[in-house]
Amino acid sequence: MTTPDTQVEQDRAVMSRRNFLGFLGKGVACAGALVGAGGAVGAVVSERGNRAFQQNDEQYAEAVNNPPQVPDYNWNDHKWAIGVDTDRCIGCLRCMEACKMENSVQMDANHHRTWVERYVYLEGSNTAIVDSQSDPKNIENTGSETKFRFDNRYRNVKVDKAFFVPKLCNQCEHPSCVQVCPTGATFKAKDGPVLIDTTYCIGCQYCVQACPYGARSFNESRGTVDKCNWCYHRITKGLNPACVEVCPTGTRIFGDRNDPESPVSLFIRNNHVQVLKPEMGNAPNVFYKGTDKEVV
Amino acid sequence: MPKHIARLLALIVVVALIAFSVRTFLIPDSFYQYGHYRGAAVAEIASKVPKLQGSASCLLCHKKEYEVWTAGIHRKATRNDAIQGVVYKYGPGCEVCHTGPAGNHPSKQAMPLSIEDKVNSITHHEHKVHPANVPGRNLLLKPQDMRGICLNCHEKLAGRPTEQRQIDVATHSGDELCTQCHNPHSPRIVFANLPPSLRGDAKAGKAVAAACVGCHGEAGTSANPAWPNLAGQHANYLVDTLKTFKSGVRQNDMMTPLAEGLSELDMRNVAAYFASTRCVVTGGDQAKAELGKAKAANCAACHSAGGLYGKGSVGISGSSAWPNLAGQNAEYLSNTLKAYRDGSRTHAVMTSVAKTLSPLDIENLSAYYASVSCK
Amino acid sequence: MEHVFDHVTPYIGYVYPNETDVPWSQLIVIYPYITGLVAGAFVISSLYHVFNIKSFAPVSRFALLTALCFMIFAPTPLLFHLGQPTRAFNAVITPHWTSAMAAFGYVAGFYLCLLLLETWFAFRADIVAMSKVKTGIMGKVYGVLTLGSDDVSPHALAIDHKFARILSMIGIPSAMGLHGYVGFVFGSLKTREWWSSDLMPVIFLLSAVASGVGLLIVLYVIVSKFRKTPIIDETMRGLLYVLFAGITIVMVIEALELLEIFYKAREGVDTVKALIAGPIWVGMAIQWIMSVFVLAVTSGLLIFEVHGKRLVNWLFLCGLAIMVGVLAMRWNVVIGGQELSKTMKGLLTFYPEVFGRESLFVVGVISVCPYITLWLVTKLLPPWADGKKAVV
Repeated sequence: MTTPDTQVEQDRAVMSRRNFLGFLGKGVACAGALVGAGGAVGAVVSERGNRAFQQNDEQYAEAVNNPPQVPDYNWNDHKWAIGVDTDRCIGCLRCMEACKMENSVQMDANHHRTWVERYVYLEGSNTAIVDSQSDPKNIENTGSETKFRFDNRYRNVKVDKAFFVPKLCNQCEHPSCVQVCPTGATFKAKDGPVLIDTTYCIGCQYCVQACPYGARSFNESRGTVDKCNWCYHRITKGLNPACVEVCPTGTRIFGDRNDPESPVSLFIRNNHVQVLKPEMGNAPNVFYKGTDKEVV
Repeated sequence: MPKHIARLLALIVVVALIAFSVRTFLIPDSFYQYGHYRGAAVAEIASKVPKLQGSASCLLCHKKEYEVWTAGIHRKATRNDAIQGVVYKYGPGCEVCHTGPAGNHPSKQAMPLSIEDKVNSITHHEHKVHPANVPGRNLLLKPQDMRGICLNCHEKLAGRPTEQRQIDVATHSGDELCTQCHNPHSPRIVFANLPPSLRGDAKAGKAVAAACVGCHGEAGTSANPAWPNLAGQHANYLVDTLKTFKSGVRQNDMMTPLAEGLSELDMRNVAAYFASTRCVVTGGDQAKAELGKAKAANCAACHSAGGLYGKGSVGISGSSAWPNLAGQNAEYLSNTLKAYRDGSRTHAVMTSVAKTLSPLDIENLSAYYASVSCK
Repeated sequence: MEHVFDHVTPYIGYVYPNETDVPWSQLIVIYPYITGLVAGAFVISSLYHVFNIKSFAPVSRFALLTALCFMIFAPTPLLFHLGQPTRAFNAVITPHWTSAMAAFGYVAGFYLCLLLLETWFAFRADIVAMSKVKTGIMGKVYGVLTLGSDDVSPHALAIDHKFARILSMIGIPSAMGLHGYVGFVFGSLKTREWWSSDLMPVIFLLSAVASGVGLLIVLYVIVSKFRKTPIIDETMRGLLYVLFAGITIVMVIEALELLEIFYKAREGVDTVKALIAGPIWVGMAIQWIMSVFVLAVTSGLLIFEVHGKRLVNWLFLCGLAIMVGVLAMRWNVVIGGQELSKTMKGLLTFYPEVFGRESLFVVGVISVCPYITLWLVTKLLPPWADGKKAVV
């Protein structure tokens, strides 16, 4: 009943190519081109001037002429940045606690929007020992993951050099996380911060993999990814981000790059600042003063 | 074209059309408005209600605490205000220590759910109310917590800039609570600036002292050398001591019932009274005192105003939480050290110090301190 | 709420705090594994349909069904992994093309359609025949599958065959694309030293072909024993050639990649060495021992021109070994990449959950599903030329 394939072979020459190329070929070609073009689209839609990441001319015009309806706020007027003066950080971790409270971040040691690292060079050593609040010893010291404090483990040893480095999302100019998000659930707002649309995120965590700075984490209770957005709900109301607000020593400096007299503009102008992992090409917007070769 | 090919084609076209129209229908309204995302999301994220309200919001109700804070060092810059013309944030505000953000405090209601928290799906259907959404988690601090909170910034730690005021817990206070000496809202101790209620009233204290003078003498000089002289003693130390008797931490057949009858204000007043009386040097055996002087270097870190290396009055303590020893009764001093040594009285620092002393050392030290000037 | 160290992954050195919750678990290990099996099985099917290599004729339709059944389950590990599986189609509705992942819905969907169409053309004559013989529900099912056309004239069948061949031709680059693309998802991430490699797509692709051939060998031998039909020597020799070619190139390229990492010796190379010696050494050992075993045995089988029962036995062992070896390789890549911290100053050690949404149990269930489906589909569409009479 079935015709063996070999039998059909003989009829092959008779066949007209148009039959199949007519419909399937085109469909396949289109789909293939679409997929192939994917990468090219990203390359073409590169940001220029005041544009946000991957914003085309039309979308830029819309962003300027019809900005999002945020009361008393226009995202065209601002370009936010944060400066970190690591010489001033005392490692009190008030920023971590305030951040977790302000943003309902998961209260365990594995999910942070901001954290502080402690770098310690022991006497005679050329490499630093690094830890953060998540280190089990620090948690053991306070007895809880929700009490944020460094322990005093270097009390009885000789320390050559030690310092604290606060970390938070760098709100990069070329954010890897936005680049790899398959849906468009995360995006770079025109005024700088990279935001997450938690109603659209599918929770694939590709962005968690892509972030060079480990700034993103997966919120299990929401099923979506969580990240620092410099307290976008605060800065659009004229307030400082929570971590900046509570920092008792002025380690974190927040401000508007568009205003040449804003604290952060002055900080960047008057100090030699650097960014983390510049080789990644992400162009971060958090500027560090007084970091060290070992800082990652 | 054979029938089955035609039908297959029709099927493919129908499926493709359905898929395309479903996709068009499902694209959210404001998608692609500003870029490859839902444009409306920006305003949604910005609409979240801030929880940290800033120190000014506390002023509405907590006027007294706010004033104390405003006057104190915690309000002023902990370090230089300005670097190269940039004015930085200054010292800790209310929410640095009271970390349960003010939010909608004093309401006991949870904060409204933010857009981030309004997440539902098959696997995450239950939304747990986050502790931070309920105001007041750490708004009211217990004295025990307070210690940890002070140490968050002030514990001596490798890596902390030297400009930051830091203490080595063991030598600074042992297991005493920070609030024994410091007012956290204005931690620098300027005794002259303390409000009268904190200082105590010596005149009012004299009336209270009527119950004490039977043993401790009209002018604070005890009738029996086994009892301590109170004249010229630090008021804070006296208040703390009375409190430990009242709370039962220390037991004494005479003192416990007496202390139980005193209010906090009474304690402050009577302490102020005795602190204001002139001290008297009771004196001790000269030979022993000479020997004790060599041993006293150990005590100087705390019980000498200048500390270990500075020049200060010997036997006058650096902190008002620690007792002055100068001129004190030698018998009382030696009894106290023995009590620390055998454990009948305990203190984080003194217990371990006393254990390093031999009975002879104790006699010598007691004689030494009894004979130094208390002026 | 205040759960202490719930999901935490133990680590040494310094890792970013957020890294202690490993984002991609064992489900993402079997996802490239299953797609890899699809690619391999499809290649064998195409070798007959496109290049007309006769020795694969007996297994070509079975290989096609194998590819189809595994492709159906390829996206399931991803669905179980997503935090919001109900929104999975967001990536299809508004695909963000700069993301390597955005194309997945389209690539996988396209490939699935292609497999369905090719299967339909390859089996249409059987479906029509069956729709006439069967009664009851099964009769109706076959009836629907014929799309109401019982045209089995030589002309119609010739067209069918033509379509099958064309689809197969499109299928080869698609299968390569599908799997090279999975490699790209990993290889394009600049943040992970262990993944960030231009060779990653090639390694994924070739190991996929090798594992797919291994799967086909194993299934063909088992099914033949089960059905008590002879195992055709020529087919086994053909599979041997493909397996030998696959394993040789895979091993060379994998060795090249390791060599490059060590030779370039960029910052953190010591941590990479520690990774291989530490958290993934078991996986690495399995991967390389299995690969060397397969290479040695297939070389031996070729040199000594082994035929018959001995060929079947040894090749069966090779098939199993390559399947285990490639699974270990997937683990080493997916989990190993995440065990190497982005700080390059620390190593994590991932311990899989046993029960739960993302667990070994789910992995087990998902891994078994394609085999069960394959068994059911071969009941519906018997792919064996000799078995047709019996089914009818």
